[in-house]
Amino acid sequence: MKPENPIVAMLSLAAGLLFMWPVLYSVWMSLQTADAFYAGKLAFTLDNYERAITQFNFARYLLNSLIVSGLVTVLGITVATLAAFAFARFTFRGGDLLFGATVATLMIPSHISLIPNYLTLAKVGLLDTYAGLILPAISNGFAAFFLRQYIRGIPKALDEAAYMDGASPLTVLWRIIVPLSKPAIASMALYIFITEWNNYIWPLVAVGRQDLYTLQIGLARLYKINPGEGLVDWPLVMAASTITILPVLAGFLLVERHLVRGITMGAVK
Amino acid sequence: MLRKLTPYLFVAPLMIFIAVFTYIPILTSLNLSVRQWNFLTPDMPFVGLRNYEELFASAEFWNSLWVTTVFAVLSVPLRLGAALAIANWLVRETLASRLLRGALFLPSVTSTVSIAVVFSWVFSTDYGMMNAVLGWLGLGRPQWLQDPHLALWVLIVVNTWKQIGYDIVIYIAGLQAIPQELYDAAAVDGGRRLHVFRRVTMPLVMPTTYFLLVISVIEAFQVFTIVNVMTKGGPAGATDMLVNLLYEIGFVLFDIGRGSALAVILFILLVALAILKSRIIGRKVHYEA
Repeated sequence: MKPENPIVAMLSLAAGLLFMWPVLYSVWMSLQTADAFYAGKLAFTLDNYERAITQFNFARYLLNSLIVSGLVTVLGITVATLAAFAFARFTFRGGDLLFGATVATLMIPSHISLIPNYLTLAKVGLLDTYAGLILPAISNGFAAFFLRQYIRGIPKALDEAAYMDGASPLTVLWRIIVPLSKPAIASMALYIFITEWNNYIWPLVAVGRQDLYTLQIGLARLYKINPGEGLVDWPLVMAASTITILPVLAGFLLVERHLVRGITMGAVK
Repeated sequence: MLRKLTPYLFVAPLMIFIAVFTYIPILTSLNLSVRQWNFLTPDMPFVGLRNYEELFASAEFWNSLWVTTVFAVLSVPLRLGAALAIANWLVRETLASRLLRGALFLPSVTSTVSIAVVFSWVFSTDYGMMNAVLGWLGLGRPQWLQDPHLALWVLIVVNTWKQIGYDIVIYIAGLQAIPQELYDAAAVDGGRRLHVFRRVTMPLVMPTTYFLLVISVIEAFQVFTIVNVMTKGGPAGATDMLVNLLYEIGFVLFDIGRGSALAVILFILLVALAILKSRIIGRKVHYEA
């Protein structure tokens, strides 16, 4: 890295702060009492978080979001890795067609399946369940495509040596491919997790029971139950919003570079 | 025998999920779009193209298509122009540019509902940040989200704020792929910065621009969350974008037939755009090789 002109560095910092200002200020607001906020004074409290968590059920929503996004990630990445391995390593009748069908899902807008998926899950009695939230989100064509490209870059000689020693395909996948694909699997897992965490329209239609709300639904409802302009309890809403943002933000900051690299590879290739 | 079956076993789980939740629903939507049904009645009579005719005859459909098109036409060029200018500046490998890139990218992984809520505050008439700033400057006190002339602009700003970091990251990758020799040659020829930008940078990031252009338009046609949280399509339909209309028809009015017809129309529109995109990516690969 080149040394930076200090003035340019300061200006960059200021620009970044200005850009992030609404969110930074929303966190600041969440730490104030409503009375002080509306009076234009300062009085700090954690009361908004306490009310969001106990009175407005955000602990439950957080748990629901963790369960749903966690399971979607584990199942999604497993299903994608299994398929990616087969697409990368086996030539089989119909393989190209199936791979084409997988990649084509990237072009299919998700809203077309909104009503049909709702009906499917209603038919099998899975609306208003965790399964109903999770099942439609498991297949991820992008992850399967991305992992297949990555696995193709791993020397095939490694697989062949293992097959010589009598290993089964599943062993080869688990012992050779998965360990060598860790960076790709990790960035796809994070991608799936973030996408599912922020998913809004599907939980909105699939869940009516309040104890199954995810954070996104809980936050939108909390904001909307406020009767109208001027009467919104902004500090409370901002505390709920901060709870909704923080887990993903923390995860993202830990692995930012992997994720950004993954996204760029997918888009520019 | 088992060896022959192996690859099928590996792809089966993914294929089952894709079939059940992606491909079969397309056929289901087509089927429902020619029927009349509201979830409650036991049967769903075939009504031919009536749902489509009703849509094409309704003012709300044309309003939605118009609003969505305006949203795309106003927001996409604005966003890509800004993104390219910023990327051109941030492409330098310095600590400050690294940090700024990170900050600009954050909104694209942040919860859209949170962003919508935070910006509802920013643009709220009485306690919002925007009107506080305008108040200091003595510039009046617009009712942003309640004003039919301003509400769509607010959504454009919010969507731009959320998405621009992604565009910048992609542009930076595109800029980094431009061979340094070209810049060196331009420098030897005494090219000025703006000139170099127009004659070297712009044409060489054109494939990236095409790519971003098409995915941004596709994405603009799918905007839903900020509409649902911030305006519900109002005031007076001024922000009633297509997916919001689909949600209202399907899940508020429970008119499954008409909702499905709208879904099919939107689907055809977006798949056409997506095919255009894959053509462009194909051209790009050719271009580089």
